[in-house]
Amino acid sequence: MFEKIKENYRVTLLIIICLLAAFALFSPTMAPEAGVGGEDADARQGVTNLQYGLDLAGGTRIQAPLIGMTADSVDFGGDSEADVPSNVADELEGIEETDVLARQEFEDEPGTVEVVNENVTEEEFAAAMDAAGYEYGDISTGVTQQTRKEAISVLEGKVNEAGLSGSTVREAGEFFIMVEVPGEGRQDVIDLIQERGSVRIDIYYQDDDGEYVTETAALTQDDFQTIGTAQQDDQSGPHVPVTVRSSVAPEFEQLLVDTGVAQAGGSTCRYEESPENTDPCLLLVVDDNVVNSFGMNPGLADSMRSGEWSQSPNFILTTGDFEDAQRVAVNLRAGALPAPLNIEAGTTSFISPTQGEEFRTNSLIVGIVAVFGVAGFVFLRYREPKVAAPMVVTALSEVFILLGFAAALGYPLDLAVIAGFIAVIGTGVDDLIIIADGVMAEGDVHSRKVFDSRFRKAFWVIGAAAATTIIAMSPLAILSLGDLRGFAIFTILGVLVGVLVTRPAYGDILRYLLTDK
Amino acid sequence: MVEFEVPEIDYTDYSNRQLAAVPLAVLAVALLIIGGWYVATGYPVNPGLEFIGGTELRIDVEDGDARAQIDEAFAAEPDSVRQVASDGSYIITFRAGDASTSELESQANDAGFEVRAIDSVSPSFGSDTQFLALGGLLVAFTGMSVLVFAMFRTFVPSVAVVASAFSDVMVPLAMMNLLGIELTLGTVAALLMLIGYSVDSDILLNNSILRRTGDFYESTNWAMRTGVTMTVTSIAAMTVMTIAAWIFGIGLLTAIGIILVIGLLTDLMNTYLLNVSLLRWYKYEGVKR
Repeated sequence: MFEKIKENYRVTLLIIICLLAAFALFSPTMAPEAGVGGEDADARQGVTNLQYGLDLAGGTRIQAPLIGMTADSVDFGGDSEADVPSNVADELEGIEETDVLARQEFEDEPGTVEVVNENVTEEEFAAAMDAAGYEYGDISTGVTQQTRKEAISVLEGKVNEAGLSGSTVREAGEFFIMVEVPGEGRQDVIDLIQERGSVRIDIYYQDDDGEYVTETAALTQDDFQTIGTAQQDDQSGPHVPVTVRSSVAPEFEQLLVDTGVAQAGGSTCRYEESPENTDPCLLLVVDDNVVNSFGMNPGLADSMRSGEWSQSPNFILTTGDFEDAQRVAVNLRAGALPAPLNIEAGTTSFISPTQGEEFRTNSLIVGIVAVFGVAGFVFLRYREPKVAAPMVVTALSEVFILLGFAAALGYPLDLAVIAGFIAVIGTGVDDLIIIADGVMAEGDVHSRKVFDSRFRKAFWVIGAAAATTIIAMSPLAILSLGDLRGFAIFTILGVLVGVLVTRPAYGDILRYLLTDK
Repeated sequence: MVEFEVPEIDYTDYSNRQLAAVPLAVLAVALLIIGGWYVATGYPVNPGLEFIGGTELRIDVEDGDARAQIDEAFAAEPDSVRQVASDGSYIITFRAGDASTSELESQANDAGFEVRAIDSVSPSFGSDTQFLALGGLLVAFTGMSVLVFAMFRTFVPSVAVVASAFSDVMVPLAMMNLLGIELTLGTVAALLMLIGYSVDSDILLNNSILRRTGDFYESTNWAMRTGVTMTVTSIAAMTVMTIAAWIFGIGLLTAIGIILVIGLLTDLMNTYLLNVSLLRWYKYEGVKR
């Protein structure tokens, strides 16, 4: 028994690997972890542990660069990371401080300055840097690695906060950020990620001369301690409950009292109807657009005037409709993108869940049809089931092993990966034909010795062919050419599995059948 | 029962020049077409949406005159409209700049079409992709050439393999122009795969002629029996795959299939006419020098 296993170690290896693949595919212990939000992820799972990519499951994928330019080797001249942006922004017309990012890894070392507004040209940026008195090296398009990383973590926060389970956000290529959201429509995803999501509270009031002025950024994202979920009730309509940090609460309270928002008897805001004739207002501003304006009820105003409010500084941000409330909540929790995404300059792709399901079934049929094409032809050619049947079985085992790999790695299957499987069947059968012909050439095989020498000769060709296929595919596996990466990775994996495991095993099976040994 | 037998060709009937003439003429015509296309359009092959930017929608249209509904629904003129055989949905493409993707999406929704899929690529992204794809093809081809030279270590047989792989890529490119197939990521993948596939039968032939003992014609016929079986099997599989994928409207698989079928057919010609003649010249005349 043991002798037999040792003699047929190649077949044994193939069987073991197939069992491992089956384990990866079907064992519940190998099941992928449910994504954030859970329920959807479970529903999408079938009998196997395979995960499906966008084209086969439905959803939206967006790849886009971040808008911005970077000046490198900037001499900060002793100014801090906080001072530089305001100095540079002052020299650029209509540009807020938040559109300029300064980064310096170590004090007294050169840093970078980024401008993340599409309205600024390279010349204007250069002029502003000169005017602000900062020396710099070169200005290039694109933002820094650090900014991209921050953007990715903010985007992850956004999709998670919006309850979109199973989403991924990652860098794609040198400049692009890729966001993949299963099951969601294209426009919804764009709406979620396109806005930078900076939320702040402004105060609109009359100054001592009776002029209406705006105190900007009375509260910003960082000033909130907790942010509740969007809610809706009869009394206050759609809103987001928030708590202000105790460190800034007294200051904010005083500001509200001073500006008259918290005047005795409360304030009634008419900012939208008659901005020139209204009580002082609080403005909820998202990405520089006023989303809602509101006054203050008498009770809250009183507690602010007495200084009680800052002891437990809760209040609610009311919004026009529930969708706005959700948006504000998501933006407050995830934070603002350091730079906006330029979706116009990227790619978007949406597949409806029904279409995804159809692609799944149809591509399976296409694959099966291709296998039948191969099988039918091999039977016609050899007219010897002993040779042809194991050939088809071996080719299929390669695909099975690859499916096991996909399940074990958690690599989502998409159309490109399936194209890779079909390519593997193609190269696999080519090699099996070389082995069969090589072994059976020049008369019958009687001894194991003859068989082995012929097999080795045939194997040289197979190895050489495999090496060229791997070389030809490797650029695709490395470059980020859309979906084709999966295609290349699985073709290369398939060729490796084929040459190292399945095709040698076919040699053993053939020897057993032909030499009766 | 139908049987498949690889025919034996009596190569002694033809001179090397006669054998090489056909594939070289085909290659010359292919290069002329590609060159002419480049002069006329600025591209060697018509680039598809992924390379020049644009929007592709796949929609379901309720009963009635679908074409009229589509024309009415979209403000911009579609670049192409095609119906998918299996499910009756329509695939409509628009050029970049004619309309924004979000506009198209809302127009499709307003018209009551069910949107199955949307793909959009910006022109700048497309030109990056063009550059990457071209670079990838060049790197793959160079890598393959270096590997072939390293494996055979003799000039003529290596050149035979590389020349035939070159032609295997060029002829499908020219055919794409003639058949009106656009260059997509799928076709680029297929061209890369061809580099790998086409080398298989060339290596088999070279190996058999250079390393096996026995007479040139015997070795050639031996390699041919196996090589032709391999290539024809792949052609058969790819043909059925292409037809099935086309019926289901799976663009990526259709594109890969078509290019592979054309390329593998070219490879049959190149391997057993061009390569054989080069190797015969090398074996009988080249070595003596």
